[in-house]
Amino acid sequence: MQDNQQQQNPPKFADRFLKWFCRNELHEEIIGDLHELWLIEIQDLPRWKGTIVYLKHIILFLRPYAFKKRQNSNYIMYRSYIKFALRNMNKHRGSTGLNILSLSTGIACFIFIFLYLKTELSYDRFHSDADRIHRVVIDFVDETGNRLPDATTPPALAPALKRDFPEVESSVRLFPNWGAKYLFGTKNGQKYNEEGVIRVDSTFFDVFTFSVIHGNSSTSLNNPTDMVITRSAAIKYFGKVDVLGEQITHFRSEDRTYQITAVIEDVPKESHFDFDFLIKLNFDDIDQNWGWYNYYTYIKLRPNANILEMEPKLQPFFEGYAEEAEYYNQIYSQPLTDIHLKSHLKWELSTNGDINNIYIFAGLAIFILIISCLNYLNLTVAEGVKRFREVGVRKVFGAHKLSLVAQFITETVILTLLSIIIGGFLAEILFHYLGNLIGLEISLLQVSNLSLLGFIGLSVLTMGVLAGLYPALHLSSFETALAIKGLKNRGGKSIVGLRKSLLVIQFAISAFMIFGTIAVYKQLQHMRNIDKGFSTEHVLTFENARAVTQQQALKNELSKLPSVTSVGASDGIMGKLNWTLGIGYPTQLTMNYMVTDPTYLETMGFEFIAGRNFSTTRKADTIGYNMIVNETALKELGFTLDDVGVSKPILEDNDSIYHGTIIGVVKDFHFTDYRLEIKPFAFYYRVQPLDYLSVKINSKNIRQDLSEIEAVWSQFANGAPAEYFFLEQTYADLIVQENRMAQILMYLTILAFFIAFIGMVAIANITMKDQRKEIAIRKVLGASVIGVMNMITWKFLTLVLIANAIAVPLAYFAAQSWLEGFVYRTDIKLYLFVIAIGSTLIVAWSIVGYQSFKTAISNPVKSLRQD
Amino acid sequence: MKGTQLGEFEELILLIVGVLYPQAYGLNIRLEIQSQTGRTVALGAIHSALSRLEEKGFLKSKLAEETHERGGRRKRLFTITAAGKAAMVKNHEMRNNLFNKIPNLAWESLDYAG
Repeated sequence: MQDNQQQQNPPKFADRFLKWFCRNELHEEIIGDLHELWLIEIQDLPRWKGTIVYLKHIILFLRPYAFKKRQNSNYIMYRSYIKFALRNMNKHRGSTGLNILSLSTGIACFIFIFLYLKTELSYDRFHSDADRIHRVVIDFVDETGNRLPDATTPPALAPALKRDFPEVESSVRLFPNWGAKYLFGTKNGQKYNEEGVIRVDSTFFDVFTFSVIHGNSSTSLNNPTDMVITRSAAIKYFGKVDVLGEQITHFRSEDRTYQITAVIEDVPKESHFDFDFLIKLNFDDIDQNWGWYNYYTYIKLRPNANILEMEPKLQPFFEGYAEEAEYYNQIYSQPLTDIHLKSHLKWELSTNGDINNIYIFAGLAIFILIISCLNYLNLTVAEGVKRFREVGVRKVFGAHKLSLVAQFITETVILTLLSIIIGGFLAEILFHYLGNLIGLEISLLQVSNLSLLGFIGLSVLTMGVLAGLYPALHLSSFETALAIKGLKNRGGKSIVGLRKSLLVIQFAISAFMIFGTIAVYKQLQHMRNIDKGFSTEHVLTFENARAVTQQQALKNELSKLPSVTSVGASDGIMGKLNWTLGIGYPTQLTMNYMVTDPTYLETMGFEFIAGRNFSTTRKADTIGYNMIVNETALKELGFTLDDVGVSKPILEDNDSIYHGTIIGVVKDFHFTDYRLEIKPFAFYYRVQPLDYLSVKINSKNIRQDLSEIEAVWSQFANGAPAEYFFLEQTYADLIVQENRMAQILMYLTILAFFIAFIGMVAIANITMKDQRKEIAIRKVLGASVIGVMNMITWKFLTLVLIANAIAVPLAYFAAQSWLEGFVYRTDIKLYLFVIAIGSTLIVAWSIVGYQSFKTAISNPVKSLRQD
Repeated sequence: MKGTQLGEFEELILLIVGVLYPQAYGLNIRLEIQSQTGRTVALGAIHSALSRLEEKGFLKSKLAEETHERGGRRKRLFTITAAGKAAMVKNHEMRNNLFNKIPNLAWESLDYAG
């Protein structure tokens, strides 16, 4: 048994482990082989490594053929636990089924929400050193203190940060497509319109990490003609991935050809910006430009630098460069990993999530899991009461308390495991059907989620065992003689109390969720119905109107179509894109604006409350600060309706004062996030080609209208494709977050309610069985069916009322605080309370009523004759 | 019948047992597989395959004499049975048969450039 050299022996504990599980008749040859293997291969490795390798080999012997045939009493005992557990489950098929159903539904919800949250929380963490990357943003603040949060910064900021702060390791600017579409194509291949084009500095890959398939990322953007594309873009244009050195041409008035210098993997879904093409930023004179706000600035700090120390230096630094008028603007930084959930600025690169929703969903996940665990507990306790006799008999035959507990725990474990498996399947189905809804593709089967599945399984199992522990201890604690006599009423008192309080909690949670969901729905409805102040209905907007050289002629021709009401041009899109400038005298404010033509205001149906629309015949309308504003702008500029049409001082710049005239005032309208208050807005009129052409159509046959419009377009467009969208969609996108949340909430509420419903059915059922004799005796003594029903139903309705009394006030406060995030919010009306309370009551009443009716009309003789 | 089927790995083990005759046992089968095919196989996998093959009747085994090499523990030496040989021959013939039936055209149409 001993080798001569002590060091060369394989680890003893491993050998003991093998001996423990391995069959005796196989042990000798196996251990012999293993030791020989140790001598040949392993002993020269470092000790720890050798141990691991050796252990690995032993673990690989964990196969059924090598196991000992267990014959000892423990094994028999375990087998009997399992056998009895299965028999018992089979005997009470109904309640076992309900139990598994509710538990697995709860688990499915939990897994679903858990993975959803995990994905939301993992945004932008795939960059290496993501915690060192920050975005620097500048909020517009005007003299009156109005703050317009804004994600964009001037182009000079990034180079200046790198130059002036030793903490900054590298900085990069991003210049997205800003709504423009790029017509890309290969020399002979097909052309596509691309939106996912970002112009970046050559330092892009110093800051961000994207996995490179071909090429060298650090040198890939050194030249103005360099281009980096993603895998799917490469396949789209070339049908293969290795496309280094290939060329893509940007077709425009002056074609431009780019050389592909690197191919990267597609941008992960968990990124707050998305792209298919990167081109080097190559505009003249931007490095000194502090006036344009249309670049995104990201910095990566040195490993030892602290952003908190850098933050207070940012504002003085900014004021050292910016013009005096912009001193009010506030510069600050945001951690990259916070952007997706916590940043809600204007011009975010994509629709961000909301940390509050994360809290809400996390709360819900826990709620639902609690409900289903309570259900489980409740059902187990209730079923257990019926097993007094079984427990008594087991005790008589010498069962220890411990083995009784083990029996119950075994049942719990089997049931929980079954539920976890079914719950996993349900969650997978949920992901399949709701993937679109939450805008994510998640699957439990992804490798990264497998360990998570294990973790969830383990925690649920723990919870299941804990839930099973109470009834196990409770049931096994009775005196044997009492247990055999089936003495349920004396011992059952505490159980009935527990049962009741659990039901109350379940229904409280259900009522809370119903209330909350209705509140969210109402707010959504409210936002959909907010008077936008203009009409988006049947307005389609061409995005590439600049491609048409004779824009005026196109407009004329389009308006001649019978289906077209009016046509207007603008350089922005309502609800999506507009510009800002500083204006006002004596105090300046930030004004949102768009350059349009007179018919644009007609097309969008803005309502004039004073003054007039622009006129094509008045030259003065097209110059200077002559403009049409909304009510908010009029007020904030310090004007009244009497000032309309009068030339007023409107801007002071370099000691000279400019005058402007308010030509007209339109009713306030929403042009951005509904959460925000309406901001000042102005329209200017310039006679020049503009980017966007909006067409209002009136007829019912939209398909035919579209083909007519496209026909006219192609006469003028010189081959440019007609690219348009319906404006209504843009506004629908503005509330996509709330929409998503309302839908998820609705599904979850239905599920939670369903689980509580199952619980109620099961408990009512059990109560009815318990009281079978009592009911029978009452009937014999002359009680009416209605009387018996009332007696039982009221007990339950009281519980539900108590649940509502707890939940509804809480829900009210929760809903109020959620609504405070919206400027335009719905109010919580009385009927919300009525619905939440009423629906729980009705459901409880119908379940209990039905079952008590069944019991009440049954023949009392049958009930009394039993036992 | 299920028992007469030979898996790929089982066939490999049978062949190696034949090659190593009469000294085939768990560890040197593993080493031989490694040197002949470059595959690294867990010792556990080999032992379980051996015991499976013995159950099917393709192998028989006996314990060897005690030696000092491995702490006095005996090896279990495996040899192929008649049934084992029949199964191997059947596999071998079937494979050759099928291979010979592949028309020449199939080889000619291979695009070696691709």
